[in-house]
Amino acid sequence: MTPSPLRIVIAEDAAIMRDGLTQTLTRRGHDVVAAVADAQALRDAVAAHLPDVAIIDVRMPPTHTDEGLRAALAIRRDHPQVGVLVFSQYIETSSAAELFAGSPAGVGYLLKDRVADVSDFLEAIGRVAHGGTVLDPEVVRHLLGASRRADSLAALTPREREVLSLMAQGRSNVAIAEALVISPGVVEKHVASIFAKLGLAPSDNDNRRVIAAVKYLES
Amino acid sequence: MLTRPAPPPAAATPGGTYPWPVPKMYPWLRTHPTVVDSALAVVLFLVSIPQWPGSPRVAVAGAAAVSAALAATVVPRRRYPEAAFAVAIALGALQVAFGVQPSNGVPPVRALEPSNTDLAIVVLLYTLAAYRPRRISLTGLAVALAGAALTIGRWAPAHGANSRAPLLGAAVALGGSALLAWVLGDHIAYRRAYFASLEDRAERAEAERDAQAQIAAAAERARELQERRARAVDEAAARLRRIERDLHDGAQVRLAALALALGEIKENLEAAAADDHGRMAMLVGAAHENAKETLAELRDLARGIHPPVLDRGLGAALSTLAEASATPVALSVSIAERPSPAIESIAYFCAAELLANVTKHSGASRATVTAGDQGGRLLMTVTDDGAGGASLAPGGGLAGLLERVQTVDGRLDIDSPPGGPTIITIELPSHA
Repeated sequence: MTPSPLRIVIAEDAAIMRDGLTQTLTRRGHDVVAAVADAQALRDAVAAHLPDVAIIDVRMPPTHTDEGLRAALAIRRDHPQVGVLVFSQYIETSSAAELFAGSPAGVGYLLKDRVADVSDFLEAIGRVAHGGTVLDPEVVRHLLGASRRADSLAALTPREREVLSLMAQGRSNVAIAEALVISPGVVEKHVASIFAKLGLAPSDNDNRRVIAAVKYLES
Repeated sequence: MLTRPAPPPAAATPGGTYPWPVPKMYPWLRTHPTVVDSALAVVLFLVSIPQWPGSPRVAVAGAAAVSAALAATVVPRRRYPEAAFAVAIALGALQVAFGVQPSNGVPPVRALEPSNTDLAIVVLLYTLAAYRPRRISLTGLAVALAGAALTIGRWAPAHGANSRAPLLGAAVALGGSALLAWVLGDHIAYRRAYFASLEDRAERAEAERDAQAQIAAAAERARELQERRARAVDEAAARLRRIERDLHDGAQVRLAALALALGEIKENLEAAAADDHGRMAMLVGAAHENAKETLAELRDLARGIHPPVLDRGLGAALSTLAEASATPVALSVSIAERPSPAIESIAYFCAAELLANVTKHSGASRATVTAGDQGGRLLMTVTDDGAGGASLAPGGGLAGLLERVQTVDGRLDIDSPPGGPTIITIELPSHA
């Protein structure tokens, strides 16, 4: 699959990572319009270029705490059409919750390690750029493990739990079918069954589906 | 060059305007009572001279000797008040017996006639009253009054009621002044006791002041040590944070970049899947896996050193912990003022350990974590509805937590009856 070229801004303070990402994305045919090292430069670059997606490291100068997250929230407020993919060395569900508050369209939150699986990572960038949602499997695992709805989750079959997990990560039915090596029709049946068992209103829209699943797990 | 030293400034003369050094003399007299008492003895001796008989010489010598003996009793009066008084009374008794009235036709011995020197008895009675318990001084007063009464009783019938002989004067003076002397002496004793109690109170007050000063010094020292320890704890926390950041900015990012590069090589090789590329793809794939696993390990290691989520506050860190917990956790945090990083770190690791315990050991279906601050203390509780029976076993997890908490003078309380519920309360100073 050859995705359409995307216009991308990268914000990452470590030069080696910034360059590596730029090279990889460029080689895959994307257009890295700016690669910056701090939050202010990121906001300036986004305002100047209005890219399809901004890839943002959570920790950046000066305090190396959550500048990236703050910048991502500001970009979502000021430029809702720009997708933001926040990536972090650590998974923090509280950061994820902040990022996904409101509409999660065009938002991603991934562990930095995911860049190692290049195709998956690129696919995630593409999804965020096109208004989709990406939630790191680690976050979903936390949510599933800690959900207070343990009783109703126990009613799901192991296969249904896998599907729910992928759904919460923001995967489409087709992507889920590919990941589990089953037909899209079977996925649809699983999804319908999950929604019925959890008492959720069915939805064809992937984003709304993610919200429903995540909200359910969080509550 | 030699210079002659300036003459020392003239010593200020104490006593100001007095032509003689009164203030110096007075303390000297106070410290030399025997000199004062000897002078008194001389005066007592001298005042009897006009009463001595004119002749014969034996009588004059006898009167002088009796006066001298009586006067001498006041010299040791302060060291031996009872003995001096006894001797003076004995002499007085001789006077009453032989010097007042003819007995059995024998005329009175003139040398033993009472004289002004008998005032020594008055002085000694005063001394008794001033320096000795009342029991003794009252006995002395009784003896002196009895002596006076006896003197008058023996003297009056022989001389007739309207005689104004000096003997009567001496006797009346003896009786009246005995009473006066006792009252004065007793008053002096009372004043001395009063002053002694004042002095004692002053001394005790001073001792108390000293003790309080010592306590204040100890408190100051304790505060100093606390501050020093707080600095050490903060420095340790800061050092761990630096190490975590070094790992994050150094090894972790390099590895991530390496994994990215390897991932790309692997995918390219797979895409080109010619036969001779197959083995290389496998090798790169293994290196790629290795890089990814190392990344995960390194992440766990760095997080163990300093949980980065703590940078966003204890509330965020606890909520991440609560969401990661396998046992459902209800979390309630109300922290008005952020504690210092070291305290947040201790609270975080305690909560992590306690929640892990809940899942591993308690069999609880739910847990509650609360954290709040009041009065400069951070209070955190972890409650579960499990089996209970948690205790501080030496070397156990809770003992380790207690040690961690105690490094900043915190407290850890365990309430875990068999059958549950278990409530662990941790109290930490907000700023250690």
